[in-house]
Amino acid sequence: MKCIITIELGTNAVRIFAFDLNGAVIGSMKGFYPTFYSQTDYSEQDPEQIFITMLYVLKNLMNEIIHARKYTVASICFSSSMHSLLVVDKNGVPLGNAFTWADNRAKKEAREINASPLADTMYASTGTPLHPMSPLLKIAWLRHNDPQKFQQAGKFLSVKSYVIYQLTGAYLIDYSLACATGMMDIHTADWAADALQYAGISREQLPQLVSVFAGAGNLKKAYQNSLGLTDDTRILVGSSDGCMATLGAGIWNSDKATITIEDSSAVRIAGNHILQDEKKRVFNYLLTDNCFISGGPSNSGSGIFEWFVKQFGDSTGAYDMDTCLNTLLEEATKVPPGSEGLLFLPYLLGERAPIWNPDARGSFFGIHIKHEKQHFIRATIEGILYEIYSIGRLLMEHRDIKGLSVNGSFATIPFCSQMIADMYNVPVYVTKHSNSVSVGAFLLAATEMGIFRTLDEAAAQVEPDKTYLPQEQHHQTYMKYYDIFERLSYKLSDEFARIAELQANRTP
Amino acid sequence: MYQFHYQQGAAGRLDAFPHILEIYAKKNTAIQLQSFPQQVASGLCIYYIQEGKFEWFVNGKHYFLFPGDTVLVLPGDTIGNDKGILELGCIWCLQLNIPQLKQGELQPGAWSGLSATECAAVGKLLHLKSTAVLSRMSEAGRILSCLFYEIHHLELAYVTRVNQLIDELIVAVTRQLTRQCLPARDFSSIFMKLEDALRKDLSHQWTVEEMAAIAGMGTTLFTEKVKGFTGFTPINYLINIRISEATRLLKRREVSITDIALDTGFYSSQHFSTTFKKLTGYTPGEFRKNNTYTE
Repeated sequence: MKCIITIELGTNAVRIFAFDLNGAVIGSMKGFYPTFYSQTDYSEQDPEQIFITMLYVLKNLMNEIIHARKYTVASICFSSSMHSLLVVDKNGVPLGNAFTWADNRAKKEAREINASPLADTMYASTGTPLHPMSPLLKIAWLRHNDPQKFQQAGKFLSVKSYVIYQLTGAYLIDYSLACATGMMDIHTADWAADALQYAGISREQLPQLVSVFAGAGNLKKAYQNSLGLTDDTRILVGSSDGCMATLGAGIWNSDKATITIEDSSAVRIAGNHILQDEKKRVFNYLLTDNCFISGGPSNSGSGIFEWFVKQFGDSTGAYDMDTCLNTLLEEATKVPPGSEGLLFLPYLLGERAPIWNPDARGSFFGIHIKHEKQHFIRATIEGILYEIYSIGRLLMEHRDIKGLSVNGSFATIPFCSQMIADMYNVPVYVTKHSNSVSVGAFLLAATEMGIFRTLDEAAAQVEPDKTYLPQEQHHQTYMKYYDIFERLSYKLSDEFARIAELQANRTP
Repeated sequence: MYQFHYQQGAAGRLDAFPHILEIYAKKNTAIQLQSFPQQVASGLCIYYIQEGKFEWFVNGKHYFLFPGDTVLVLPGDTIGNDKGILELGCIWCLQLNIPQLKQGELQPGAWSGLSATECAAVGKLLHLKSTAVLSRMSEAGRILSCLFYEIHHLELAYVTRVNQLIDELIVAVTRQLTRQCLPARDFSSIFMKLEDALRKDLSHQWTVEEMAAIAGMGTTLFTEKVKGFTGFTPINYLINIRISEATRLLKRREVSITDIALDTGFYSSQHFSTTFKKLTGYTPGEFRKNNTYTE
């Protein structure tokens, strides 16, 4: 029996799934790797640990599930988190750790380029906002701040490119992940000359651009031996976690959107042309010749609510975050929608879309003497979701959204799914399989094998498991408060800048 | 409250306990200059605040102490008041002659009932301490007052009782230290603390007991939590870090394969080679040859 393996190199863990050719999950395993925050704004991971962890988990899955149950692996398809940067020397040996998407050290570079005329032309050619997370700006930071490493650099890779290089010896990056580097011209599907010039690097220093369906070459013999695989297993370059979550959510019509809410969040739509946003707030990733994934990312998500749970949850049950979270959710339901006028701005980590303000900070607004603890719980959740709604509003300037598919641990909490339906005033679907990134990668690999003719046909296989219908009355309430929420998010920008500066200069 | 002060060598009261340097209960009723200057502790000291409010520095760090607080001072730590005075109040103190803790090892001596692995774990945790003060630890006061009773009254089998009580105090203080330093309920932060400790001393032969102790949990709960969080058992997670670090070192030519094996915590180059090959399909030598290049 044949099977397909998907490998997701995620933000803090590798997740490996095995699917049979009908799309049923045969087994899955994960392996955690740490993120190091050695200084403010730094966020790094050890590329060797990512690779070894991936290999370890894959080997365990092969031994315990694939070989044990006599499956043969038709293909292995990769996906990974976006915006990582790993510098290797001319021999392919890493020069230090990889920068993750959350690394913010290129703040100054981002500010400068956004104030220059280059910003408009680069956004027009790459289709992605200029933000410190972008590898383009991380490379510029290196050139200014670590010239020795910059000089020694043989290649500037993504973590996924490095892992694939280890396995097959080829330096590759797919179009969708390359878009997230801020260096690919989305119209020509080639490295953008002005971006390379700005970064100060040559195209030979970047991996080769290939389609998401491209084979990455044969697995090296040593790995074939240790994993029990042969040349017959195709290694697919695959795509990014964001694009795969969209495909795996089954959203492929241009009037539907998908919302992912984990630690951080994104709202995405798929379509056959890119969104040129005047204010450069929307990203666009090229998935295939005629398909683009567009949307906006947010720092607002379960991380914010977990912060609240840690501070204000009941601490009697040791180490049990889930129980604590559920107790708070229960209390939140006792308060009517709108939290009787208590608003929360969820900018504890600054914000990306739609306000793109790293200095933004959190706030409760409208506190009244009658407000009780449960109002604060509900307001916190509403604030997180108003923020997700605000990205939807931004996308609705370009497209209609008539339905939503939600995934990720936070968005699929029934209380939150219903709230999203009420805010957007459209039906919300939750799919059966909780890991839509893996499902997306499976659909990609299955399409490459010819099981589906197109990705559209593959996406149509994904069926909703649960549906939440909008409640008009609640929608009206939320919209009244959302109006104030949105005003506050812009109105406070001077104060955000000043408080952020004070916080940055505080003595320990 | 009665006062007393026994010192090793003086008066013979501590002859049966060569490991106790000094033990006292002191009520300070007058402030004297240079009565408590900052100085280096030669033994492992445990102070317990019985009455009063004190302002001390331990290793240069400033602490306010209130009744019930317990202060833990390791050999080599500095302790004292920045003005050199001992404030008004009542303090209890036990100072033990336990050799300098290098790389965290604790070797109390034959009097202690703690096993070698337990000593290693306790030593490790004391070594990693990020605070010297355990707040409101009334348990330390209770154990110390039992200890005082035994030393005063010399009843049947008092030698055994005293040594048991010292062990009990060391264990209680260590547990409290871990509990106090851990962020409540947040396993990811606890795990990052552990991860950091493992990386700082990768050549150490870590046991699950030691790792669980750093996380402030029993081994069963700990193993289950780590499995859920990382996908690996604690020992396999550790092997994972070891091989990752070895991979990094193999790509540089400077370090010999034997040194890499030992630095990353394998028993021998043979053990390293087998483990490495099982996972990667390469022996360390082959891997190095494939991944380094002559200029």
